[in-house]
Amino acid sequence: MFVAPIDRICKGLPVLPALLLCLGTVGAVGTGAAADLPPLSHRLTVIEDPAPAPPLRLEDIDGVEHDIADLKGRLVLVNFWATWCPPCRREMPSMERLYQQLNARGLTVLAVDVGEDVDTVFAFTGQLDPPPTFPLLLDTDSSAAQDWDVKGLPTSFVVDPEGRVIIRAVGGTEFDDAAAIEQLLPFLQKP
Amino acid sequence: MDPQTGASTFETQAHGVTLSLTQLLPDQVRAFYVARGFDLADANVFAEACVFMTVLRNDAAPGEIDFRLTDWEVRYDGATRSLPPPENWLTQWSARGVPDAAMLAFRWAQFPAEQSYAPGEWNQGMLATGLPPGSRFDLIARWTIADQTYEGRLDDVRCTD
Repeated sequence: MFVAPIDRICKGLPVLPALLLCLGTVGAVGTGAAADLPPLSHRLTVIEDPAPAPPLRLEDIDGVEHDIADLKGRLVLVNFWATWCPPCRREMPSMERLYQQLNARGLTVLAVDVGEDVDTVFAFTGQLDPPPTFPLLLDTDSSAAQDWDVKGLPTSFVVDPEGRVIIRAVGGTEFDDAAAIEQLLPFLQKP
Repeated sequence: MDPQTGASTFETQAHGVTLSLTQLLPDQVRAFYVARGFDLADANVFAEACVFMTVLRNDAAPGEIDFRLTDWEVRYDGATRSLPPPENWLTQWSARGVPDAAMLAFRWAQFPAEQSYAPGEWNQGMLATGLPPGSRFDLIARWTIADQTYEGRLDDVRCTD
């Protein structure tokens, strides 16, 4: 099978696919093998002194406003990400699987894109398998990421039904790993 | 070395922490920033600044690690220097009239200037040394756990030509 040099592939692609492929490759460089990508984490970090979640009120890519204050009583996974961020892209399918598995038991997922516009995010979602069915919010000026003291992407937080931030995950995470799910189950309704 | 791009990765493990630097080719850096609103001349400034895709990961340190890039050192040509802080780049982009949205993309694409990682946590981002193309240098990374300082060292790291 012919394998074209990656720089030729990148130059031959329109801007968005080129970025996705080439920066994905940037994230993978090492030996060039997928097995050498930095591994996604399989654990979540419990926050010892939970504090109330910062405000989060943003529109999604369909123009619908979401306010985390309206989600009291549910467990909420808030994920800060961007389309160009390789570990963000790698972890997103696991968030969708987690959402499918636990939504009926009280889990909400809010994925907050940092600094990009609706066209960029919309074009990206069509490439995911499975595609996300949870809301994709737009933090176009990154003010929400700053309010939540995000320092790098991806960063995720779990907000308990009382509105406190109880768990965080810095860096790409396999959210539907059994160990991660085990940490969430005590805060969800029983099946 | 990546057989497709020719980019090399430099990696070390120390005290349960993994640090890796992977060369980013100037073409890759240029393409990323031009696509995000930089004009070519501005993107070129950063693309020629010896940029690496950097990963720092707390694999199994005996606690949460904290670091600030201002504590890291580059040893090059017999002298020790600091890494150029991201704020300096942003100041330069502002002076050059880079659009706000492009500066936002730049800010979030950089390796964090400071961060804390519990075991299992990590980040990946761009880190520029500001050294000339083809330079060879040593990088000393530092982090703390409960006020005790630890070091990881990468020797003879090479900027792309």
